[in-house]
Amino acid sequence: MKTGNEQRDAFAAPAGRRDWLAGGWAIFWENPIGKIGLILMACFALMAAASFVPPLLDPMYHPMHGVDPEISHATGPSAAHWLGTDFIGRDILSQLLAGARIAFMVGLSAAFMSIFFGTLIGMISGYAGRFADTVLMRLADMVMVMPTLLVVLILSSLFGQLRIWTIVLLIALFRWPGVSRVIRSQTLTLKHRPFIEAARVAGASHLRIIFRHIFPNVLPLALLYMTFRVTSAIIIEAALAFLGFGDPGTVSWGMMLQWVWKTGHMFQAPYWLLPPGICISLLTLSFYMLGRAMEEVLDPRLRKEGESE
Amino acid sequence: MTMEIRRYILGRLFQIMLIFFVILTVLFLLFRLAPGDPVSRMVDPNLTPEDAQRLIEQLGLDLPMWQQYLIYLENFLKGRFGISFHYGQPVSEIILNRLPNTILLFTSSILLAAFVGVFLGKIVSWKKGERIDTWVTIGALVCHTLFLPWLALIIIWVFAYWIGWFPLTGMISAEIWTDPSAGLLKKGLDIAHHMALPLITLFLIHFGSYLLVMRSSMLDTLREDYILTARAKGLDEATIRNRHAAPNAALPVITSVGLSLAFSINGGALTETVFTWPGLGRELVFAVSNNDYPLAQASFLLIAAVVLTANLVVDLLYAYLDPRIRY
Amino acid sequence: MTVLNRTRTALLLFSAAVLVFSPVAWAESRHPLRIGLGEEPRTLNVWMASDANSNNILSQIYQPLYRYAPGETEMVPWLASGPPEMEADRVTYQVRLRPSRWSDGSAFTAADVAFTCRLIKEFKIPRHYSRWKFVDRIEVVDDRTVRFVLKEPMAIFLTRSLTIPIVSEKEWREVAAYARKQKKPLATLFNHTVEHPLGTGPFVLEKWHKGAFLHMKKNDFFFGQGLWIGGRLLGPFVGEILFKIYGTSDVAMLALKKGAIDMYWQGIQPGYIENLEQHPEIRIFSSERSALYYLGFNLRKPPFDDPALRRAAAVLVDKSFIIKRILQGYGSSMDSIIPAGNEFWYNPNLTEYGESLNREQRIRAAHRILKEAGYRWTRPPVDDVGKVQPAEGLRLPDGSFMEPVTILTPPADYDPHRAISGLLIQQWLRQAGIPASARPMAFGALLQQVKTRHDFDAFILGYGRLSLDPDYLRIFFHSEFDRERGWNMSGYHNPEFDRIAEASEKTMDLEARRLLIYKMQEIIARDVPYLPIYLPREIEAVRTDRFAGWVQMLEGIGNIWSFCQLSPVN
Repeated sequence: MKTGNEQRDAFAAPAGRRDWLAGGWAIFWENPIGKIGLILMACFALMAAASFVPPLLDPMYHPMHGVDPEISHATGPSAAHWLGTDFIGRDILSQLLAGARIAFMVGLSAAFMSIFFGTLIGMISGYAGRFADTVLMRLADMVMVMPTLLVVLILSSLFGQLRIWTIVLLIALFRWPGVSRVIRSQTLTLKHRPFIEAARVAGASHLRIIFRHIFPNVLPLALLYMTFRVTSAIIIEAALAFLGFGDPGTVSWGMMLQWVWKTGHMFQAPYWLLPPGICISLLTLSFYMLGRAMEEVLDPRLRKEGESE
Repeated sequence: MTMEIRRYILGRLFQIMLIFFVILTVLFLLFRLAPGDPVSRMVDPNLTPEDAQRLIEQLGLDLPMWQQYLIYLENFLKGRFGISFHYGQPVSEIILNRLPNTILLFTSSILLAAFVGVFLGKIVSWKKGERIDTWVTIGALVCHTLFLPWLALIIIWVFAYWIGWFPLTGMISAEIWTDPSAGLLKKGLDIAHHMALPLITLFLIHFGSYLLVMRSSMLDTLREDYILTARAKGLDEATIRNRHAAPNAALPVITSVGLSLAFSINGGALTETVFTWPGLGRELVFAVSNNDYPLAQASFLLIAAVVLTANLVVDLLYAYLDPRIRY
Repeated sequence: MTVLNRTRTALLLFSAAVLVFSPVAWAESRHPLRIGLGEEPRTLNVWMASDANSNNILSQIYQPLYRYAPGETEMVPWLASGPPEMEADRVTYQVRLRPSRWSDGSAFTAADVAFTCRLIKEFKIPRHYSRWKFVDRIEVVDDRTVRFVLKEPMAIFLTRSLTIPIVSEKEWREVAAYARKQKKPLATLFNHTVEHPLGTGPFVLEKWHKGAFLHMKKNDFFFGQGLWIGGRLLGPFVGEILFKIYGTSDVAMLALKKGAIDMYWQGIQPGYIENLEQHPEIRIFSSERSALYYLGFNLRKPPFDDPALRRAAAVLVDKSFIIKRILQGYGSSMDSIIPAGNEFWYNPNLTEYGESLNREQRIRAAHRILKEAGYRWTRPPVDDVGKVQPAEGLRLPDGSFMEPVTILTPPADYDPHRAISGLLIQQWLRQAGIPASARPMAFGALLQQVKTRHDFDAFILGYGRLSLDPDYLRIFFHSEFDRERGWNMSGYHNPEFDRIAEASEKTMDLEARRLLIYKMQEIIARDVPYLPIYLPREIEAVRTDRFAGWVQMLEGIGNIWSFCQLSPVN
């Protein structure tokens, strides 16, 4: 189990940033997990990019209101519809592609926002210390223990119904504590480094120190945690949509699963049931793998583990 | 118990109460500000505007906000959690009815996942680098990232429908429980029969993370000095691993259980919904969609209380079990 | 007679007796009827029960004085012994009761009827009070006769007031006395926990295992046992019913296929039919409903305050497309607020909008209507040579551009039909240049927005169960109901309509009333405050291998006649 001290050593100021990047990439690519993760993610990114194509080909391929003039019920895969159609004749493949786009958007935005909050709070907490530190960390404790899904569920009743960006914001608001703790301990160790002392003596304001000096050094750690946040954001959005609390105007994988469920095709349309679930799992898996591989790059200790024995 | 520990516990308890109070107030505001009261959901031409108004008055929703808040606090302190808008029953009755079901399923799944995860993690750490290590690790990862509701539906489809060994839904069979000759054993087995599938689902989702934590923890522990000492003493590997390393390596799993409690509760609510397991998580989801404020509030508060207390317990347990840490 | 003859005769008589009596003996078998419910019932308190599943259970227990019978247009006396006798003053009615008992054996008397009606009046019980507030007093003439005196003649008295469930005075007297003294008497009445309701119906509740099932047993004191009512011989011939609670239709359908339930008491989506039809022991019932699913406009503000725009929208909505594609054919299009199946009251000669026109013809027709009303486009849907093209820049007659309008619909998980209809209508309106977008919204919030705040442009909602008596026309469109929480959600104000509606409430002569109702439908069809779209059929699935005798009626097979006639298949 890593403690703050060990992490500090791990992230000791590297010899030249360019060398570090090149070296890091080499390590990353060696690791099979990282490779698989990256490839998977690239596939999904391609899917997301491709989601703009079907409606341009023919209006009937629009995921939300594109209906096939001949088909008006759920059918299996065919030449015109590679994954079949849903209960009113909409193309499942274009829904799947649109879902990839939404998943990336939700995952990345929510992760980015939560990392933003978390890093900011972590830095302030570590740097300011004492009262601000206690208050912020207690707040972090409080928010961290809450089951995010249930909290967002309850909040959804406040809004009557949620738009996709509200969901993203809510997820971000409840997932920052994890990263803030780590950033805080990192900040704590950095605070007492000579180069910070030098800056302070030179008359730099606190804000300047935080953003100019501390921030770039905590950034790799923040980015690492971002990958883990992406997975939880995607899953929470999918679970919300599945339960019926998502944004009914967006086609996400969770929403697709909800449609299969509620229109009575759960057990008779595997071509509709399986793809969204597989996609959610694979995308989360890919980000998770990416995160693990990045961990190895950033933390030499883990690397050593791979070489010994 | 030393003075430090006592102070620590008291401090944490105070914190918990403070957090609780904040949650209480936030919940109150949320539900009062929410659009859509339970009366507005009733689509019945027979319900005249006067009827609706009368219902609103009877439910107390027409008082000014601050008055409602005071009544709310007073009731809460007296232990009166109100009457459910949807069922017309006291909320505490409904919660007491659902809670044991959730506790049963939830605790069994966590315990099973933890034990199996620890056991497999220990074994896999011995065989580090070998094929079985890679496969089990990948398997654990994949299971961990499966989308729970989807997995649940597929499990129902395969095991309850195709193979047909397990019931499709619910916690009990009406036929067995209305049979006057059925004894406790038969009823208990019936519950176990129904619990199998939700248990398996929750287990699959959770055991992976425990396995991975145990695995890396074992690897760390095996490098510790006291293991080297034991080896030097001439003890055989099996004894070292099982008697010396494993118990210490298992400690992080305990904190892992505590940290992932929130995640597990989310999963519990989803599982209960898909399997129609009559538990508190499922009731909470219903209450929110029905605008049943008293029930939703009380359920959520209870869950929050459980999570906060569990975290405290896990921290204390860890402190107690790990000889190296003393507060 | 010789010994042999005597024995033979005895044997013959014995066999005859066995043959005659055994069906009845076999019918009361130990094998329970198992029925799946879609959701846990809310309560056993009949006053609070507003949800379908509670009423499914309570309808086996509490019975009304009169009810509808399958195939009969007139109401059938149920707890009453004959039709109500109206006196010449047209405000006094006398009802005689059948000899009946409550499920604990005590006698059912006129006192119970009087108590129930007085309870409704005193506590102003929602959903029932509006039908009883015009009743001045209720008198107990003798044990089996009740007299009602109204304040003024009311056409709806028989069909709406005398159909309430009758409760036992013994069971509720003390509850009422206690509730009277509380600060919130109605809430106290509602929150009274009823564990074993006392009823006059065919079944009584044995046990409710919360979250799992309800167990009902045959009521030995059921008044209808062995009687011929509504042209049918009543049982019940089933000894027990187990109501099992299923969270989702999918699992319920699996249970039906596996034989864990005999019937699922909730309408199912057309998507299941193909699969279910492959099972020989499963039978699908498709029944008429008395329902209305419609597009409502907000007449209080532009742009839908202009009837021409509403009529253009009416032309653009392709109802048959919706029936075919969304309902998979299990439904019919509606042109009146009153369903066509309600033969007596339905007006068949109404203005129709665009029926049997194709897409292009509809766009042209809408273009014509709007152009005549003074609308202009930067690019009209029909160009100068008569070709249809994508429209842009619609301007109102006063010259300003039309603001985007939103069509609110329930979310797809609540009702996929309405949600998808919204999307389709959005596309159709856009083809004429009307900048519409469909927005799914959580149901409670949607209703609040539309009914309380009156802040919307258009919405798609429905009434799942409309009574056969068309009094709801008045409730939906009379101007007095255009207020917060009133059902005149579109804000329709028409003094002519108001006058006719008020008259229809009080006209006792059926033919005269029918003419008034016809006129009301005509006015609504002309002004289109609501555009009726579709009427789905109720699709239900049962197993045929264990029980038979389901009675199909308006609203489906889950009715009291089915439960009184079902018997095991042997």
